[in-house]
Amino acid sequence: MLGYIRSVPAVWRVLVCLVFCRNLTSIGAAPICTNAQTGCQALSLANLFDRVIQHSARMHGISNDLHSEFEQYFLPSKNQIGRVSRNCHTSTILTPNGKENAQRMAREELTEVILKLLMAWRDPLWRFHQGMAHNHDFNNFSSNKALEMSDMVHELRKGVEKVADKMQMLGIISNSVSSQVSPEALLPSDSAEWHLMRDYDLLYCFRRDSNKVQNYLKILKCRIVPEHGC
Amino acid sequence: MKEVMEEAVLLFLLLVIYTPDAQGTRYSPPGKPELTRCRSPEKETFTCWWKPGSDGGLPTTHALYYRKENSDTIYECSDYHTAGENSCFFNKNDTSIWVNYNITVVASNALGSTFSDPVDIDVVYIVKPNPPEKVTVTVMELKEWPFLRVSWEPPHKADTRSGWITLIYELRVKLEGDDEWEMHLAGQQKLFNIFSLRSGGTYHVQVRCKPDHGFWSEWSSTSHIEIPDYLHREKSMWILIAVFSAFIFLILTWSLHMSSHSLKHCILPPVPGPKIKGFDKQLLKNGKSEDLLRVLVVSDFPPTTPSNYEDMLVEYLEVYVPQEQEVLLEESKDLHDSCLKFEGSTSDNDSGRVSCDSHTLLMDKCGEAKEEGRQTDQEDSTTEAEAQGQQKDWDQDTLMYANGDILSPEKSSGRVKTWPSVFSPLPQYTLSLPDQTSSLEMAKQHCYSDSLFCPGSTSSYLTHLGNNDNETLGPGSWEICLSNRQPYSHIPQMQTCQQVRSHSDVNISTIARKQEPAGLPLPFFRPTAYVEVQRFDEEDMVVLQSIVSDHGFHEGFPQMLQQEDYSKVKGVDSNNMLLLQTEAMKEDGDGCRCQDQVTNGVTESSCTLSISTTPHKPTAHIHTVVSTQDEMAQPASGYVDTATIFTLPTY
Repeated sequence: MLGYIRSVPAVWRVLVCLVFCRNLTSIGAAPICTNAQTGCQALSLANLFDRVIQHSARMHGISNDLHSEFEQYFLPSKNQIGRVSRNCHTSTILTPNGKENAQRMAREELTEVILKLLMAWRDPLWRFHQGMAHNHDFNNFSSNKALEMSDMVHELRKGVEKVADKMQMLGIISNSVSSQVSPEALLPSDSAEWHLMRDYDLLYCFRRDSNKVQNYLKILKCRIVPEHGC
Repeated sequence: MKEVMEEAVLLFLLLVIYTPDAQGTRYSPPGKPELTRCRSPEKETFTCWWKPGSDGGLPTTHALYYRKENSDTIYECSDYHTAGENSCFFNKNDTSIWVNYNITVVASNALGSTFSDPVDIDVVYIVKPNPPEKVTVTVMELKEWPFLRVSWEPPHKADTRSGWITLIYELRVKLEGDDEWEMHLAGQQKLFNIFSLRSGGTYHVQVRCKPDHGFWSEWSSTSHIEIPDYLHREKSMWILIAVFSAFIFLILTWSLHMSSHSLKHCILPPVPGPKIKGFDKQLLKNGKSEDLLRVLVVSDFPPTTPSNYEDMLVEYLEVYVPQEQEVLLEESKDLHDSCLKFEGSTSDNDSGRVSCDSHTLLMDKCGEAKEEGRQTDQEDSTTEAEAQGQQKDWDQDTLMYANGDILSPEKSSGRVKTWPSVFSPLPQYTLSLPDQTSSLEMAKQHCYSDSLFCPGSTSSYLTHLGNNDNETLGPGSWEICLSNRQPYSHIPQMQTCQQVRSHSDVNISTIARKQEPAGLPLPFFRPTAYVEVQRFDEEDMVVLQSIVSDHGFHEGFPQMLQQEDYSKVKGVDSNNMLLLQTEAMKEDGDGCRCQDQVTNGVTESSCTLSISTTPHKPTAHIHTVVSTQDEMAQPASGYVDTATIFTLPTY
């Protein structure tokens, strides 16, 4: 945890802090700012939602770019795509696959799904970035993107946790939100020969999952605070 | 055998029947179909289209089969008709988002079937919404500056309210008749304002939308809007322009008026009027040419009139030394020429200046030039001893020429200059012996530029040129003699002068020149005698009368008071020389001043003046020759007013 906090570029830290650090506590830092406290400006739920939605949109954009690069440079033959059965490690997490399913889902469930997804991707992305940094096939730009992506997942998860806390505080959802991830969701140990393929699959899966997260957040927002942009 | 033959015929017939006909169509399995595209309008359903291959000549059917991700179940498309021909429509129940579909199309006919290439799609990334709906364009007025307000609705199928789809919009505007559209990205808003419109024009507006990860929709149908004419807005602009231009025009007019004078001078330079002495413009305007010409004739105009020169030459006194008379005459003639040449080159700097009669002054100059030339020749031709003798004569000459101003025993005045004692016909130009220094100075200033013998100028020459007191004024005076218009410059014509000067330096040393008081231009009070031609006798005699000039300045020259009166024409000799004689004869030592200067015994009582002119001028030549009854040079005093002698009959 501390390891990759240190490696985060200074600019990113500032940016992320600007977004979250007003209300979000760092590890072992000040408590959450409530409405009544002085010297602390409380953000509304709508603002929080807007922020996390923007964050997730950016995250999805980066994953999209990386996936396109991978597809263009490392997998010219399209036949390989169909051959490999794509099995994302997050497929065990039940996610709604349609609008009705998503709307039918309770807020808490939806929030929980979001958190689970974000949690499941924390380690794989970190490992992915490490693999890219050591592999000289990738340029620095892609490596930086991978690092950024992993950091964003981490920050986004924290943000959604804040939103959930806020919602719990506001009584919108019950207290049964947990970010516990089942061990099956974690990636099995990787082997060297499938590394490249797994990277591509990883990127493909993450691109999809980041889209899911963004969409779920939007649905949540428009369901809970539908005033702006819905 | 026959059976074999029949079978062969049957086979042959079968072959004939079943072989292709004349067009060459062959029955074959169908060609490979191709999935062209799959699109979802709202991320809830989607449609796939394919392009069939060749049908192989047989009726071909197509079927679409798909497989979902992580499942081996193969499904066939349930709806081939909703979306048209060669299409497959996936309804909501069959559509799963974030699921990878593997779709294949199969074309089959009687002979076989052909599979197309499989295509993997994810519905999320194939969303292409319908165009926005209910596009309304209205003209809004904001303080006489109208703008367009465009509003629209998202396509009714796309569910943006629940947050399932997020759409961003874009619109484009153009004037009717234009080719290029103006694009505007509106983001997620459903309202947009367009400014800077042209009044009186018709605008076309179109809108389209796109999900955050998908394809742009088609453009909506064009909305037409006409902007009404806003004359008052443009009118105000014209009013502003008019006021501004009027202001600039006023400024220009004022500046032109201020500088009209200088502009007039620039564009229409003033025509210089004639500045001729004695020329009366009024006469010209009146058209009386006769009077004008008479005036011109009288007033020394035109300068080409030779009689002028001759008249001026009248003042020129010749001193005859018997042995050298011929030489002198020749020299004099040459000098005359040279003098006249000078004269010819003389021109008025300022035609309006009439204070000094340059012609009369020139005469003196010529006279001196004559003398100088003579001196030069004397220098060159004679030996030293002769030069000495000549110099002695020269001394005498100069003394005589000095008009008696060197009479002073101490020879302090030393002005070798002969004074112009000329009366110009115009009374205002009378040159008289100045009363005071100031008048002299004035005269000097008047005559500055074009006179050669301005009293003041000459004196100033003397001051400037002669550095030493003991340097005679000879050098200065001689130098001036030939200068035309540049009194202070040394021109080539001065050579003779300078030569003379050098000569005179040696010789005229006795003539001590009195340095005038420093700073003061020497008042040029020469004890000159002015002679005026009074009348003509019936005997063809020119009666001359001396004019008593004021002498405020005659200190030290008491003898100057005496006037020589050359007022009687003695006669005309054979050389066309008018001989004048003095009427009043002074028996005292100053009788003929010249005589005194010469210190020779001049006994005659009559000193005649001779006015000589160049033989070149055929017109009235009045020759006055100072006839020397002895060898002494006659006094150079006594000048005849040339102007009045014009009317003398020519010889």
